[in-house]
Amino acid sequence: MMHFLLLFSRQGKLRLQKWFLPLPERERKKIVKDMTTMVLSRKPRTCNFLHWKDLKIVYKRYASLYFCCGLDNQDNELLALEILHRYVELLDKYFGNVCELDIIFNFEKAYFILDEFLMGGEIQETSKQSIAKSVEASDMLQETMEEYMSKPAF
Amino acid sequence: MPAVSKGDGMRGLAVFISDIRNCKSKEAEIKRINKELANIRSKFKGDKALDGYSKKKYVCKLLFIFLLGHDIDFGHMEAVNLLSSNKYTEKQIGYLFISVLVNSNSELIRLINNAIKNDLSSRNPTFMCLALHCIANVGSREMAEAFAGEIPRILVAGDTMDSVKQSAALCLLRLYKTSPDLVLMGEWTSRVVHLLNDQHMGVVTAAISLITCLSQKNPDEFKTCVSLAVSRLSRIVSSASTDLQDYTYYFVPAPWLSCKLLRLLQCYPPPEDGAVKGRLVECLETILNKAQEPPKSKKVQHSNAKNAILFEAISLIIHYDSEPNLLVRACNQLGQFLQHRETNLRYLALESMCTLASSEFSHEAVKTHIETVINALKTERDVSVRQRAADLLYAMCDRSNAKQIVAEMLSYLETADYSIREEMVLKVAILAEKYAVDYSWYVDTILNLIRIAGDYVSEEVWYRVIQIVINRDDVQGYAAKTVFEALQAPACHENMVKVGGYILGEFGNLIAGDPRSSPLVQFNLLHSKFHLCSVPTRALLLSAYIKFINLFPETKSTIQEVLRSDSQIRNSDVELQQRAVEYLKLSSIASTDVLATVLEEMPPFPERESSILAKLKKKKGPGAVSVNELEEGKREGGELNGGGDRGGDSSAIAASNASTPSPSADLLGLRTGPPVTAAAPSAGSLLVDVFSEAGVNDDGFLRDLEPPTESSDSLLAEGPGDSDSAPPSVVSEDPAPPLPESNELLNKFVCKNNGVLFENQLLQIGIKSEYRQNLGRMYLFYGNKTSVQFINVQAKPVEPLIEGGAQVQQVINIECLTDFTEAPLLNIKFRYGGALQNLSLKLPVTINKFFQPTEMASHDFFQRWKQLSQPQQEAQKIFKANNAMDTEVLKAKLLGLGMALLENVDPNPENFVCAGVIQTKAQQVGSLLRLEPNAQAQMYRLTVRSSKDTVSKRLCELLAEQF
Repeated sequence: MMHFLLLFSRQGKLRLQKWFLPLPERERKKIVKDMTTMVLSRKPRTCNFLHWKDLKIVYKRYASLYFCCGLDNQDNELLALEILHRYVELLDKYFGNVCELDIIFNFEKAYFILDEFLMGGEIQETSKQSIAKSVEASDMLQETMEEYMSKPAF
Repeated sequence: MPAVSKGDGMRGLAVFISDIRNCKSKEAEIKRINKELANIRSKFKGDKALDGYSKKKYVCKLLFIFLLGHDIDFGHMEAVNLLSSNKYTEKQIGYLFISVLVNSNSELIRLINNAIKNDLSSRNPTFMCLALHCIANVGSREMAEAFAGEIPRILVAGDTMDSVKQSAALCLLRLYKTSPDLVLMGEWTSRVVHLLNDQHMGVVTAAISLITCLSQKNPDEFKTCVSLAVSRLSRIVSSASTDLQDYTYYFVPAPWLSCKLLRLLQCYPPPEDGAVKGRLVECLETILNKAQEPPKSKKVQHSNAKNAILFEAISLIIHYDSEPNLLVRACNQLGQFLQHRETNLRYLALESMCTLASSEFSHEAVKTHIETVINALKTERDVSVRQRAADLLYAMCDRSNAKQIVAEMLSYLETADYSIREEMVLKVAILAEKYAVDYSWYVDTILNLIRIAGDYVSEEVWYRVIQIVINRDDVQGYAAKTVFEALQAPACHENMVKVGGYILGEFGNLIAGDPRSSPLVQFNLLHSKFHLCSVPTRALLLSAYIKFINLFPETKSTIQEVLRSDSQIRNSDVELQQRAVEYLKLSSIASTDVLATVLEEMPPFPERESSILAKLKKKKGPGAVSVNELEEGKREGGELNGGGDRGGDSSAIAASNASTPSPSADLLGLRTGPPVTAAAPSAGSLLVDVFSEAGVNDDGFLRDLEPPTESSDSLLAEGPGDSDSAPPSVVSEDPAPPLPESNELLNKFVCKNNGVLFENQLLQIGIKSEYRQNLGRMYLFYGNKTSVQFINVQAKPVEPLIEGGAQVQQVINIECLTDFTEAPLLNIKFRYGGALQNLSLKLPVTINKFFQPTEMASHDFFQRWKQLSQPQQEAQKIFKANNAMDTEVLKAKLLGLGMALLENVDPNPENFVCAGVIQTKAQQVGSLLRLEPNAQAQMYRLTVRSSKDTVSKRLCELLAEQF
């Protein structure tokens, strides 16, 4: 299973953090620090995998953002790389040509999309269409709710 | 993307985020945040009740502040309030806040649980999913207690929506991981397993993670999943890339599900059902074949997904470790990847090959890639790939290539990345130790290691080389010589000085004969490094100096001079000063005897796991070093370290197969006892190499035998009809327990090598033996005391036919690997008059047979005596004399024991002292003995000291029976 997923910028600014196991705050900060220093110091065209303690680290850079996750030792690195890619595709589909700013200003949406895709560190749904559909459905629900809100009668 | 109202009207949030982004400094950011926190706090505390929208907005701001890395200590209550809102957006933000921020705060958990319960029973799939996500995110024990019963029901209920099923499966998995005791599958098991057949690929994908985890814990209950998984896999593998619609990822059908199926199968042994197994092998072959097909897309996603499945299939093949054909194909495939232009694939191929290297079927195939791997180690640009290459070299190392691999790793170390040097050093040290054939190579390797990468040689490594040198007499001289040479280098690493100081302090005497390394030269060499060293090393050197004073009295004045100098005796470091003062005093006032006792040679280190291996394990964390490897390492480490304690007192000397012709009036069936190997457990432990060959008769030996009679009637003519057809197969294979008198018989031979071991009315067994160092040869003579010819002698080692009154000879070669207590058993079986004769005797091989006498002067004797002063090194017995206390007889017996009888050593002329070294393959055990007769009381007091406690004890036992 995936232990954590981090999104950070080239400057090491954390943009999104998802922890699939409960960890004390201090430990989380330590991991974030280790990951950003480790990954950011990698030279271009090196491989996307690292060992860190007893976890496998898989990371990939998309434009200015690094996507980085920690896996169990028996997990498949290549597949994890494609999990990252699929997540990027999902964000892209939702925001349309997604960029770092979208994730900064709509962080809660980035979390919601991730929740449709992964749960408890395992993959829940791989179909891009299904995920897009359920994210859309909740947006619809949202808009309906907004309408309701403007009608204090509800 | 206009269709979506991003931020859905939370303008305040967007403004706040912009403000933060516009902050020029960290201080400004903190100021802005504090302002916002104060604002939110006042809003939450204000009298005016907040509407849902404002609550949502403020909670969202808090979340953002938290994600920036600031602590949030309020707002939880407001978030919980949002959970019970029936507005979707509010609920969603509430759940998000709880998921990200809540730790098990019990007050809050109860409220949260209430909200979750409501949502779970709402039958609104969107709400249910939100609730399930929250449970999975928090995953606390309280939540497991509240919902572990409910979720399986949701998972298997017929009317549950697919999306809810997916969430329920993974939520349950999460709870199972936190509190396995609370998740009781029982009645649900088979319905959960059958989710593998679900039509919805998403449901199968989610459910299989749950099933895999449950199978790992309860393999028997879930084993029906194997055939379901195989058929599902087979359907995916054989499907066209368009069949699975959106579950096809870049032309690869369902890569996630395929990998998970292959992973699930790795929880089980190969399927027993032939058809299922056949289908699975077919799948694996198809996957391997697909790897050779041209890619359907140039995108990296396509090849990643395809290769992910391939690697997972290879993992399964390695896990089964039973299909040599597939294993070799897997190895070849990985071999191709080793040279692939994609760095990721080279990395993964190296990683996978590490596990493949441990399979007996593919170990050799992996080894053929050694040159490529060495090349990778030298030329890869990426350090993590080089590290995998080093790991693989470590994994593929065995006796045949150890020298090459160690040499390559050493030369790589000179340019290796700093981040991996320490680990490399540990690995080289372990391999050198594990596969050392000769210890001079081991010593050379470690000294090279220190030369090349001294800074990365941890204490464990140099401790270990010293442990090994101390425990192995045969390498001490070489170690002293080599370390002496290494120290000649103008700049040598401090670790080298440490090893050098320690080894010369202990064993400098072994090279002191050469004028080029005379004691004074050795001392000057060490001392020339002294001033450049750190305090701990200097302290070690001071100890080496005082040891020199003991080893070489001629260096005393020089060394005292050094100790007396202000830089030592007034050193500002307390430790150094104290050592200098104490050593100086010790060397000037203590007598030679006292000095010799205080500064005796270090005793051998006890057997223990290699400290380096322990360090590597710690460094890599659990799971990085396979259990196999550890055990192997342990075993090998033990062997290397002298193998001392193991098998020492078990009856590890192999039972010899011997055969005895027994005279009888009629037919005799003769069988050998069980072969040697039964009692010889492993190379690491004691083993007597017993092999027998048919020998020539030695008529002169069995003097006691009656001369052969004239009658040489053939059995066929002579024997009574009933017995000549006794089938040999009737003879039981079980050896008899040793004869009660066998200990007594054994004792007869402690002090002599020739004689009659056993005799009854049928048979006589004579023994003649000789020993040199740790080897021995024993001739056994089986004498037929009757006048009847024996035929049908089945034993291979002896002649198949023994004439009446004649004898056959059997030769046994003996090698003593390490010290032992129990004598080997000699099992003899034959048929006499139709009745099975089963006889077990102890072969008269005792530890003292391997003594080499050592002559020494009185002074040396007492110096060594004192060196062996640990309580367990001494064994003592006081016993009554069984025979007349005749000095000459006693002397003869002690000489027969194999030790040197030392004259003029003991101040009391009545006493006897002896010295000798027991030669075993593993080590030498020096032993000293003192026998004090008391003629008046007709008693003896016997004291044995030796460097191994088991040896002292055994010698004492053996000898107590002799006088």
